[in-house]
Order: sequence, then C-alpha cells, then structure tokens
Amino acid sequence: MFNKDSGLLQGTLELLVLKTLSWGPMHGYGIASWIEGATNDVLRIEEGSLYPALYRMTRRGWIKGAWGTTENNRRAKYYRLTAEGKRQFQEQTSGWQRFAAAVTQAVASANAPSWAS
Amino acid sequence: MHNPFSHPDSRKPFEAAPQAEVHDELAFHLEQRIRDYVSRGMDPATARATALERFGNVTEVQRECAQMLADERRADARRDWFEDLRQDIRFGLRSAARAKLFTALAVLTLALGIGANAAVFGVVKSVLLDALPYREPQRLVRVYARFRDGSSERGALSAGAANDVGIRQRSFSKFAVFQGEAGDRIYKDDGGASIIHAAWVQPAFLSTLGVVPALGRDFHEEDARGDTSFTTIITHEAWQRVFGRDPRIVGRTILINGIARQVVGVLPRDFVSPVPNADIYYALSLPALLSDPISARGSHYLAFIGRLEPGVSVEHAHQDVDAISTSLSREYPRDDGPFQLTTTPLRDAMVGDTRTPLLVLMASAGLVLLITCANLAGALLSRTISRRKEFAVRVALGAGRGRLVRQLLTESTLLALTGGLAGILLALVGLSALRTLALHALPSYAHLALDSGTLVCTMVLALCTGIAFGIFPALSVGRANMQSTLRDETRGTSESRRSRRLRGALVAGQIALCLSLLAGAGLLARSLWAMTSTPLGFNPDGLLTADVQPGLNQMHTSDAMAGYYARLEDQLRAVPGVTAIASASELPSGSMNSNGLVIEGATPPPNDQQSFITYVSVSDDYFRTLGIPLRSGRTFGPEDRPDAPSSIVISAAMERRYWPNGGALGARIRLGPDANSPWKIIVGVVGDVRNDPLRATPEPITYASRRQEPTTGVSFIFRARGNPLALAAPIKRAAAAFDADLAAHNIATMRSLLSDGLAGRRLPVVLMTAFGALALVLASVGVYAMFAAMAAAREREFSVRVALGSSREAIAGLVLKQGAVWMAAGLAGGIVGVVLVGSLLRNLLFGVRPLDPVTLGATAMMLLACATLALFGPVRRATRVDATTVLH
Repeated sequence: MFNKDSGLLQGTLELLVLKTLSWGPMHGYGIASWIEGATNDVLRIEEGSLYPALYRMTRRGWIKGAWGTTENNRRAKYYRLTAEGKRQFQEQTSGWQRFAAAVTQAVASANAPSWAS
Repeated sequence: MHNPFSHPDSRKPFEAAPQAEVHDELAFHLEQRIRDYVSRGMDPATARATALERFGNVTEVQRECAQMLADERRADARRDWFEDLRQDIRFGLRSAARAKLFTALAVLTLALGIGANAAVFGVVKSVLLDALPYREPQRLVRVYARFRDGSSERGALSAGAANDVGIRQRSFSKFAVFQGEAGDRIYKDDGGASIIHAAWVQPAFLSTLGVVPALGRDFHEEDARGDTSFTTIITHEAWQRVFGRDPRIVGRTILINGIARQVVGVLPRDFVSPVPNADIYYALSLPALLSDPISARGSHYLAFIGRLEPGVSVEHAHQDVDAISTSLSREYPRDDGPFQLTTTPLRDAMVGDTRTPLLVLMASAGLVLLITCANLAGALLSRTISRRKEFAVRVALGAGRGRLVRQLLTESTLLALTGGLAGILLALVGLSALRTLALHALPSYAHLALDSGTLVCTMVLALCTGIAFGIFPALSVGRANMQSTLRDETRGTSESRRSRRLRGALVAGQIALCLSLLAGAGLLARSLWAMTSTPLGFNPDGLLTADVQPGLNQMHTSDAMAGYYARLEDQLRAVPGVTAIASASELPSGSMNSNGLVIEGATPPPNDQQSFITYVSVSDDYFRTLGIPLRSGRTFGPEDRPDAPSSIVISAAMERRYWPNGGALGARIRLGPDANSPWKIIVGVVGDVRNDPLRATPEPITYASRRQEPTTGVSFIFRARGNPLALAAPIKRAAAAFDADLAAHNIATMRSLLSDGLAGRRLPVVLMTAFGALALVLASVGVYAMFAAMAAAREREFSVRVALGSSREAIAGLVLKQGAVWMAAGLAGGIVGVVLVGSLLRNLLFGVRPLDPVTLGATAMMLLACATLALFGPVRRATRVDATTVLH
C-alpha cells in the first residue's frame, strides 16, 4: 500500500517510523511489525519501501543507525531518534492531527453548499 | 538487549562496505519474517516465498539503500577531514600560545620577509608587468637616435630624419612625430598668469597610441595647418587644475602666450603621456619644420612613436629602421652621419633606467625571503626536536605518522598565513613610504598599490613558504623512532646527526645569502656616497633657483629681450637677502642642450665621430654666483656686446680634451648645425662642473654669454644669506611687481634639485641597505639558534668532560670548532654570491669596483662580529655546565 512514489503517503510512513522510534531504538523488522500491529494491519506496508525511507531519514539527520544484538543474539541494525528527529516527530504529529481533523470534518459535514439542488 | 548506542563511535573501525551492510540488514529482516511465518505453522518454503513477496523488489531496494549509505559515508569522511583540520588548528593555536617567544619571532620574521617581497613586487608589477594604458601596448615602439660619440643612447630626432623614417618605413601601421619634451607657456585669464606645459604632436599621435579623448574630438589633419586653425587638446588634469572642470570647455577659446586657441578635446583621466608633464597639446606640422634648411636636419628635438603592423616583430622593425638610418647617413653624411636610429619597445623606453634597480631590489627581497625560510626551518627543527616526546606519546596513543606530519604542516601553514597577513600590513606601510621615496625614481605611469594580483601572489608565497619550511621538521618526525625516544628519557633531547647537518647547512646558506646582500648594499652605498661627496665643481649650498617665463609682448627683438632681462635681474637683485644673482638658459642637470663642435684649423673628424658638447648661455655673474673658479682668461662682461664677435668660455675638461698642449685661449670654434655661422672665440677657461651627479667624470661644457645668445625662457640662480627657501615668496612678489604677465615657477634649492637627480640611485641604496640590515639580524638569530641547540644537545658530554678534568677553554673550543666549519662554508658560499651580485650591479656602481676590497672586507667583518655576538651566549652556557646537575 505504501508506494515510494506517493509523496503524501511517504510522509506518513516517515511519521510512523518516527512514532515507532519514539518508544526507543528498534531495527527495521521491528519497525515494520509495530506499524502493522498499531494500525491493525490496515496499513500493511510493502516492507521493502521501509528501508529507503530509513536511509533517507538517516541522511536528513532525523535518525541514526548502529549495529547491535537482539535478545536471540542475532546481529541487527538498530535505529534511534536524534534530537532533530524528536523535533521532527513533534512537529509532524501536530501537523498530521490538524490535517486529519480538517479532512474528517469536511468529509463528515452535513451542510450542503448553496449550489447543491 | 545490548544497547548499541553506548559507544556511538565504536562502529567506525569495524565498518563494513555499504553493499554488505545493507545486505546484512535486509537478510535479518527476511529471516525474522520467515521465522514468524514458520512459528505460525507455515512450511519453510512457502514462508520464504511469502516473505519475499511481502518485501517487494529486494535487489532494487538493496541497490538504492547502498547508494545512499555510500553517499552518506563520503560526506562523513569530508566532515571528519574538516573536523581533523579544526582540531589541528586548535591544537596549533594552543601550542603557539604556549611557545610565545617562538611564535612572535616566527611571525615577525615571516612578516618582514613577506612584507619586503610584497612591497617590492608591488613596485615591480606596476612598473614592469602591468599593461601600459594604451591599446595593444606591446605593438608600440619608439625610434631614437643613438649618438656615435656616446653622448646619448636615446637622443631626439631631427625633423628631416623623422620625416624620412615616416616615409620609408614598412613596419608601422600608424606613427606620429612629436616633441619629446613639453615647453613652458603662459596661460592668462582673469585670475592672472600661470604656467602650463605644452607639447607639439602630429595629429595621428593619439590614434597611434589608441587613446580617444574623453570629451570632444581627436586632432584632424587640418588642425596641423597652423595658419588657418589654432586648436588644442588638454589633459584631464589641466582641465581640473587650470580650467576648474568647465563643462563647456570643448569649444572654448583660451589665451596662451597671447595666442587664442580653441579647445577641441579633453584627454581621459588615466591618460599617461609619453611626453612628461605635458598639460596641453598642439597639432604639429612636419612640413613647416622642414622648411628651414639648417634646423630641419641639424636640430634634434623630436620623438617618433610607431604602432607595429600586425605580424611585424620589434626585431623586424629594428632592421627596417636600421636600413633607413644607414641610407640617411649616406645621403646626409654631415647631419645624419653622427647617429644611428634604433627601435625600442615603448615599455622599455618608459621604464628607462629603473629596470636594473628594480631587478636588484626584487633579488634582494628574494634573498631576504630565503634567509627567512632557512631561519624558520631551523627554528621549527629545534622546536620539533624539543617536542619529540610529545609526538612519541601521541603515536603511542594511536596517532598515525601521517596525522602527525599533517599536524606539523598545519601549524607551519598557520604561522605562514599569520605572517603573510602581517606582511601585507607591513607592505602597505612600506609602499606608502616608497611613494614618497620613489617619486622621482619611477616612471610616471606606475601606481604603487597592492592590487589583487599582488595580494594573491603574496598569499601564495606565504603558503609556499609555510609548506617549504614546515616540510623538513615534519619529515624528521615521520622518520624518528618513537619507541626509543620514549624509552630513553635522557637522550630524548639530543640531536640526530642528520638534523645537525641540516641545521648547519641552513646556517651556512643564511650566512652566504646575507654576505651577498650586505656586499651589494655596501657597494651601492659607497657609490651613492661617491656621487654625493665627489666635488660638483660648484658650491650648491645656499643657492635658490627659479624658472621664469615672460609674456610674449616683451620679446620682439633680441635687444628688447636682453634689456627686459637686465631690468628684471636688477629688480630681483634688490630683494633683501639676495647676495648674488645669475641667470642661465638651463640649470646644471643630466640632460642639457648640446651642439656639434667644429674647431678652426683642426681636421674635422669623420662624420660618424662628430662630437656633441653641452652648451649653455649664462649671465656675467654666473661663475661667481655658483662659485665656479676661473682658470685662465676672463669670464663674460659688458665688452661682450651683441654686435661684437661671440665669446665662449670653456670648461677645463674641454681644454684637456681638445687643447691638451695649451692654446685654447683665442682659438676659434663653431657650434651648431649651421656650417656658415660666424666663428666664436674662446676667451676663458673655468673649472669643471659635474652637471650630471650620476656621472663620475665631468663632461666638457661650453658657455656663451646671455648678452650675445639670449633665450626666451630663463632660470635664475640666487645666492642667499641664510635659508635660501625664505627667499621664495619675496622673489615671487618682486617678479609679479616687475611684470604682471611674468610667471616665476619651479622655485627650489639647488640642493633639492641635485637630490631629485639622485633619487633613482638613492632608492635601491636605501632599500638594499634596509634589506641587508634585516638579513644581518635574521642571520644572527640563525647563528645563535644553531649554537644554542648544539650546546644544549651536547650538555651531557660536556659535563662528563668537565668532570674528567677538561678546561672551560677546551669546551668552548669544541663548540666553536663545530660551528666554525659551517660558518666558513657560509662565507665561502658568500664569495660566489658576491661575485654574482657585483656583476648584476656593475651598471649602478660609481667610483667603486664590483669586487671592492674595502666593501667586502667591511661586510665580512660586520657579519663575523654579529655572528660572534650571537655565539657568545651559547658558548658561555656550554662552559658553565654543572656536572652535578646534569649527571645526577
């Protein structure tokens, strides 16, 4: 459902990654799983598109990656939020909330425009 | 879970290639997904297929991510490089602040070396390198007459010769004949009379140069027909100074020497004239000058400028003009035989005699810079040796050798840049001083300023210096054995054989360079001293001079002219403070009028060996006022009436040359181009006068009486009681009271005139002496540093020797022996340098030989004295070694 060419949804994916990492450092697989669980599998992402997003966000300095080990002693690359990432998260969250509220209000509106017959 | 962020930088040494890292990351993802499916009961093969399908295009994602990671890593590396640089700089500043004396000395030394070079380069660039302010200036040449008797290398042309060159030449696309020197004229308006300098130029003059007037128009050919039109073009400077920037100047009629002329153009502000000081230009008509059969070929006062045809070289034009000159000598042997026409690029003509002094200065400044570099390399070497332990510790803590070398280079570059900036400040100060000092010594087009080119060159020079003197110490660190340095604590400060040799060679080089420079400065200083101290043949102290230009209306006949000047002289003699007064057609100088000489009864020399003798007409009191002694016969007096046979007084040098066995008095001679002019009789011989202070031997001079040979323009010479300059204002007032149309100008003391004539020689002497002093100080510091380091390095050995009973004299001998070898090598190298400097300076010397033993001996003694002084401290320290403290 997440396509790397759709700008709006790509921004949404980045916001979800920021949200995931706001709980603490996590690897790519963990991020994908959390997003699916948290959205009740509505936003089932094409998992491959997650990784370019992670590298892009790294380059922007929002997140930082480093190799660590999982509970099962497997090597995995963990991402964490940087200070800039935390700022981005707050900004984008409030932006998204305003956006969603506005769209919801418009879609649910019962007031017909004057030109409606 | 292990926290991977506890050591944020720990991944660096174990970093995998971007491809591999992305691959591992994606593999982990797929594995986890498969494991998840299997745990939910899917069979492994299906789980794998489903996981891959859910992931999407693995190859594409991997390629894209690896690309981004690689970019990121490169950016990181750049950031690291700058971070390292920042660290090096911070560290360098800290260590510079710790070694305050070293830093201050290094920056100051560099500032002096670089400042000297920037200032001199600023001068050299403006004089020798910057383009002349003309269109394609490299295609402009001047034609000169070289007189075969050696009296003039770059003499003026006669109208006939200039005309023939113009007709016969095949090398120039455009050319113009003009008057090489501007003449004084009187400009009169409501405010009174003032002097302006006018030059005659052919109408093609400006278009040959490629200059277009800023206002109005260029001359047309019709402007040269003097009988129908009187037009003029003025300089921007004259427009401002004389005409108050009158916006309607073009078309305005102005009155010059009583003749109305219409201004048709104003030259651009940056116009530099080949005619010095000209304010105003008239259109010259060559045919009019050719009409007088005697002066047409016999009087030399014209200059010739040509623009080379495209593709024609200066050499080709030279041959062309040379061939014309040869045929003219055949056609007019009497007039054109005595000289040969030569072609010179315009720049060489304008640079004139300043080229050699400038190159000498550039070489001197370069030598100072070399000494600076050697000195700094030595100082940095000592500092590196004393910091060896610090480096060893850093290597032990994991710093790479390359990193250390880079650190040292950063430090020396930092020093060089600071020194370079300080040097530019010094150069600005130096140039403003030079502007005063060099006023009379440099060509008029030279603007002494540090432009962007000079600044760039200076900073590049500073950087190269930084790298050059930083590289030896840096390499010696790279080579040193860090482990042994750390382990062997007491020998950690001793010098390696290699660095000792390097230091010795640096000092020897400094001494050699310093000796050459000092010897050069000494030779020039002795020349200047000889020029100013050799008697001039007259007493210049207490003399004031003034040029006078009367209005034309007084000058109808030569009788009227003589009477006018006699009355003026009486008026000026009455000014309080004037004890004597004289007048002359010209003041003594390096470039005076000269005339061809014919002696009655003597076989005339072949035409190409004809002599030209300086010729000046003077008043009766001239010799008495200047203090020129009478040797035999008489000077001029009332008996030399205009209608009496012309009397001539000659100088002793003239008598020696032409009448070595006596018989000069009463001899008859003819002067000038007119073969039918009446004979003149020699009535007296006076003492020699060195009218050109740059020449050691006085030239022959002939004097005529102003009673018989009056001239319109006159220079007055006053002998004053007390300060001669105090007379300037009263003399001006007296002249104006005598005749409101009269302008007295160029009022100056004879001393300052002579001094201006020497300015071109004083400049290199002053600067080279300054550079020599600088070099001496730097070299002394270098010698001191070498011995100090040497003595410190052998302190342990000396203390052992003292403990074993060696005397202090023996210790001092040891130190001296080690250093003396290098000093001797330096002196030997200096001899070579002195020979080179001597041959470079040969043309600038006066009364001194290039290998003058007095100068060389004094120079070597001075250098040795300074070196001995510098030795004193370290040797003393070596002999005071205390065995108990060193050998604990």
